[in-house]
Amino acid sequence: MRALSGWRPSLRMAWREVRRSRGRSILVLVMIALPVLAVTAADIVIATQDVSGVESMDRRIGAADASVSFTTGAGRVIQAFDPDDGMTWDSESDKPAPGVADVRRALGRDVRTVERWEGSTVVSTDKGRTDALAAEVDLADPLTAGLYDLTDGRWPRTEDEVVVNADLASRGPGLGEEVELASGDVRRVVGIAESTTYRSHPSIAGPVGSFGLSERTTDHTWLLGAGPVTWDDVLALNALGGTVVSRAVIAHPPPDSVLDPEIASWAGGTDDAWLAIVALVVVMALLEVVLLAGPAFAVTARRQSRTLALMAAAGGTPRQGRRAVLAHGLVLGSLAAVLGVGLGIVAGRLAVPVAQRWDSTWFGPFDVPWPHLLGIACFGLLGAILAAVVPAWIASRQDVVAVLGGRRGDRKASLRSPILGVVLLGAGVAGAAYGARSTSNGEFAIAASAVVAVLGMILLVPLVVVTLARVARRLPLVLRYAVRDAARHRTRTVPAVAAVAATVAGVVALGIALSSDELENRATYVPQVPMGDGVVSFGWNTDATAADADAVVAAAEKSVPGLRATAVQGVQTDRPDGSYTFLSFAAPGGPQQLLSSYGGTFGSDVLVADRVPPGDHLGIDAAGRERADSALAAGGVVALADGRLVDQVAGLDRVRARVEEMDAEGQPGAVRKRTFPGAVVTTGSHSIGPQAIVSPAAARRLGVPVVPANVLLDGASIGRGQQRDLDEAVSAVADQASVYVERGYRASGETVVVQLVLAALGAVLMLGGTLTATFLALSDARPDLATLGAVGASPRKRRGVAASYALVVGLVGAVLGAAVGFIPGIAVTYPLTGNSWDLGGTAASHYLDVPWLLIGGLVVVLPLLTAGIVWVSARPRLPMVARLD
Amino acid sequence: MNATLHLDDVTRVHGSGPTEVHALRGVSFRAHAGELVAVMGPSGSGKSTLLTLAGGLDTPTAGRVVVDGVDLAALGGAGRARMRRTSIGYVFQDFNLIPALTAAENVALPRELDGQRSRAARKAALAVLEEVGIPELADRFPDEMSGGQQQRVAIARAVVGERRLILADEPTGALDTDTGEEILRLLRARCDAGATGVLVTHEARHAAWADRVVFLRDGVVVDESGADPVDALLEPGMSR
Amino acid sequence: MSVKQALLALLEQGPMYGYQLRVEFETRTGSTWPLNVGQVYTTLNRLERDGLVAGEGVDDDGHVVYRITDEGRDEVAAWFTTPVARTQPPRDELAIKLALAVTVPGVDVGTVIQRQRTATMVALQDYTRLKRAGRAANPARPDDMAWSLVLDSLVFVAEAEIRWLDHCEARLRRAVRTAENTATFEAGQPREVNR
Repeated sequence: MRALSGWRPSLRMAWREVRRSRGRSILVLVMIALPVLAVTAADIVIATQDVSGVESMDRRIGAADASVSFTTGAGRVIQAFDPDDGMTWDSESDKPAPGVADVRRALGRDVRTVERWEGSTVVSTDKGRTDALAAEVDLADPLTAGLYDLTDGRWPRTEDEVVVNADLASRGPGLGEEVELASGDVRRVVGIAESTTYRSHPSIAGPVGSFGLSERTTDHTWLLGAGPVTWDDVLALNALGGTVVSRAVIAHPPPDSVLDPEIASWAGGTDDAWLAIVALVVVMALLEVVLLAGPAFAVTARRQSRTLALMAAAGGTPRQGRRAVLAHGLVLGSLAAVLGVGLGIVAGRLAVPVAQRWDSTWFGPFDVPWPHLLGIACFGLLGAILAAVVPAWIASRQDVVAVLGGRRGDRKASLRSPILGVVLLGAGVAGAAYGARSTSNGEFAIAASAVVAVLGMILLVPLVVVTLARVARRLPLVLRYAVRDAARHRTRTVPAVAAVAATVAGVVALGIALSSDELENRATYVPQVPMGDGVVSFGWNTDATAADADAVVAAAEKSVPGLRATAVQGVQTDRPDGSYTFLSFAAPGGPQQLLSSYGGTFGSDVLVADRVPPGDHLGIDAAGRERADSALAAGGVVALADGRLVDQVAGLDRVRARVEEMDAEGQPGAVRKRTFPGAVVTTGSHSIGPQAIVSPAAARRLGVPVVPANVLLDGASIGRGQQRDLDEAVSAVADQASVYVERGYRASGETVVVQLVLAALGAVLMLGGTLTATFLALSDARPDLATLGAVGASPRKRRGVAASYALVVGLVGAVLGAAVGFIPGIAVTYPLTGNSWDLGGTAASHYLDVPWLLIGGLVVVLPLLTAGIVWVSARPRLPMVARLD
Repeated sequence: MNATLHLDDVTRVHGSGPTEVHALRGVSFRAHAGELVAVMGPSGSGKSTLLTLAGGLDTPTAGRVVVDGVDLAALGGAGRARMRRTSIGYVFQDFNLIPALTAAENVALPRELDGQRSRAARKAALAVLEEVGIPELADRFPDEMSGGQQQRVAIARAVVGERRLILADEPTGALDTDTGEEILRLLRARCDAGATGVLVTHEARHAAWADRVVFLRDGVVVDESGADPVDALLEPGMSR
Repeated sequence: MSVKQALLALLEQGPMYGYQLRVEFETRTGSTWPLNVGQVYTTLNRLERDGLVAGEGVDDDGHVVYRITDEGRDEVAAWFTTPVARTQPPRDELAIKLALAVTVPGVDVGTVIQRQRTATMVALQDYTRLKRAGRAANPARPDDMAWSLVLDSLVFVAEAEIRWLDHCEARLRRAVRTAENTATFEAGQPREVNR
């Protein structure tokens, strides 16, 4: 109790100080609580999104105690406690599939079972057909409760009743309507039910036998109502060849030692890189919190110095004086931590539905990871204590004589820190250069050196501020005053400028990395066909007929007005029975290898036609097309070559084709070689396409089967909605056909979101730092403002002074931060965009895109905006000289 | 003759109810061009209030304050600020220089606030600093000057730009005797050159530099000393 | 006030006659304390009787010229080096007046004080005006410096007087307030007091 009693006066004083200077206390609270709030909310959203084993039980096995799945051809199964974490099986192809009796025998007791099949099926819609997730299970059985969520109607009772989810209902079959399956059978929709796992994909469910899944699916599942299914039960079922998801085992797993060693080696293994990143983020965030809250504590320390002196006069020791400062940090830190966590939970609760919208799987139940939150709260507390202690330590080294003489302002800047700062900055640059050059894990070297560089920059800020003050003579009055005053009160200015600079440096570095990455993705993107055109490909081993091709052409032209659809045939290289034909082409007298790669979405890598198909899909230019047309008309073969070989292939007029057959078991068969008159033309695009076009006569001579390969689409732009309709129309006439429309490179939504989040975070922190400094500066400057008023400054001048403070802090911080941020930003683009392979040798090995808009916004617009906000919100009246006689 | 400064039946009350303080009660006061008027009184007599009212830093509860023919109450805050930039100069007891600006910049402050270009304002400032005798301190900061030098800078700031009314609130309070006399000599010179000066002081010696001395007590003018000379003190051979 | 030593000090500069002495005295002290000739001659006679000066006969205009003796010189030296004693303060008319005003009923002491203060202030203003212009402003010769110092003494004395008057006023007001409070306390009701 002795220890605590020593703290009591300090804590009491701290509490009173907090209540006395409300403005400053609220500022500090906000500075510390905000990051805590943000991290808490993010953690909650992530934890909620993460559907852990236990949480997912209901959606995987409904109300059952376990489910067991038998895969066709599976012998003994080895699995982890949760088979999703790891599972493998021995292959035993001629074992008969186990049944319910086998399960009962393995478990040694009677169980209630509900059969379940899962797969996909094709369903007709208003516009045609679509793929849908299908499940066959008796939804009326209570054991299945939780697999689907019935929102309208009722569960299906007979074999011709089904439920669909809202997504499928919107495409066609709604409640009470009929839905046609691929087999031609018709079912009636009696209810709308959402799958508890998948949110945005069409899904349909019905009793066992509705969709004929048992013929198509390899996994036969039973839901078991067997009382708790223990690990021993699981092992017994594993021996039968069943994979078991057991509620009891997953909720209370036995010790890891009972796992099969093969599975045990998969699990675990924390990601070292992930840890490093987390550590880095924590350090930077802590730094930011200290820098932002520091100035407020500094001012408090200054004002407290008189109280501390009185305490010393009343018999207090220096240790008790230090305790007072620490107590202040403790009180505010605890308040802020509690506030931040509490509000963070609320914010997380509100953010979960918003985040859900972006995710296609359902989130789990609302999850509050309490251990994490405790850690976050401690982090906030630590930040507050540091922010309190550091300025107090600096203040204790103040020039006593100056303080007694009533001269406001800090000691002259020593030269020690700037030298250290230059050294650190140099180390940061060197580290970044090293990381840029190194071949592996350069990113970590760069990240570490970035932190070092930022620390060095922070040490240089005082020098910059003082130098700026010296050359301020040319500035207009209000700016001149703000700059000089900032230099005089470095204790409160430097942390704010440093906070802004550190933020901007981080944002600039990350922004450059992201943009350059995007640029690389964009530049290395290889379009498959010209922009806006499309291809309907029949798949590599289909048995589509010419009638199917015509039907697709008709359907396509009907779906999209103005579209030109051309059916093209090709050699059937993959056959349904498993046999394979391998073709290759060469030109005698020409280059060894004509194409660096081929394949693509054309349904076959060898097309069969008597002239080059219309449209630009193959990238053949006019001259080449002329040569190719004449060669094909003469019954020859046109081989395609890379664009860079254009000169070497221009004069070639013969093509040698080699055909190698392989049977269903993979045994090589006959090899045929034929030479044809023909041409070699170059494809202008880098995309992966067919390797040759052969005329029908040549195909007959080669003895290869010819089938419809694709339908080329061009001539009209195909919108997204139209593409989906087209998809369904095509599926209606040809099951295996798929539609591809070239839309160019699409930035993944994720990247855009990350950039926006980065910009928003940077803006918020900049705003926070600048406003802190301005608020404190204004309260410090009351005497000067009074003088200005007495000397005749108009009342609006106060706004000007406030805005100038904000401008100085924001601009200096942003410029410094941007300059330092370039170093790691540019350095990291080297390992990030370095290519170890390229297509056709034209891709650059380094991409650099500087997001000038982002940087310009941060460095120029944001400080001006902040100054503008301060201008608008500052109180216009100047404090008048209040003299008491 | 038009008075540069005219307080007409001015009353100033601070606070309300039981804690009311009557700083001035129905005070009428005039000061003319070329005249230096001293205001004396114990603390609580209202002398500083008189000065802040004259300078437009405060508004009377009743009565009018007229400077150069302009009723200060009729002007808004901005108008009064303009008066302080161009017509009225204020000298404080504790100098009130802005530490972040050099001496020349402090002196140039009213001109720059009024919109004059830095260069022209600096020139005017240097000229006035010369007048008060400290041209060499133009680029020093207030931290680097003695009290007397700072007060001279403050006076320079109050007179730059040919201000017509100079209000000085105990300008010699923090200074030693000789330096104080120097300050008063400066003020006197300005008034002789045509400005109007109002000087609040509790030092009789310094008040004696004025043409008129007004005595305030409890917010009321109780007496005023005119300017009739005492014959016996004439030097032999001189006549008035 | 005795001007004995002052005249002796003047005679030390050289022999003079009565009227000359008077002019010389008034010049150096700015006619602050005017002398009449009769007073001068009476003092000279006494000095001669005491052996500090000696008559030198008559000059061409018929004036009696006096000369300082050695004893006189000693006397002058002693006078300069001996501080003026303050054990017997000169009779101060103002102090006497105030003392009586306070104790004689029916006299408004406050008005007395205020009137005196204003008058002294006027005098102070005049002294200051003289200090600013004329010989005392920039003392070039020792005579001017002498005059300036005398003027300063008048200034300081006047200032001291005003300060004393302020002080008396404050004390009297405090005394009245205390008496009021005591009366209120004793009688239980406020009492009007003339001030």
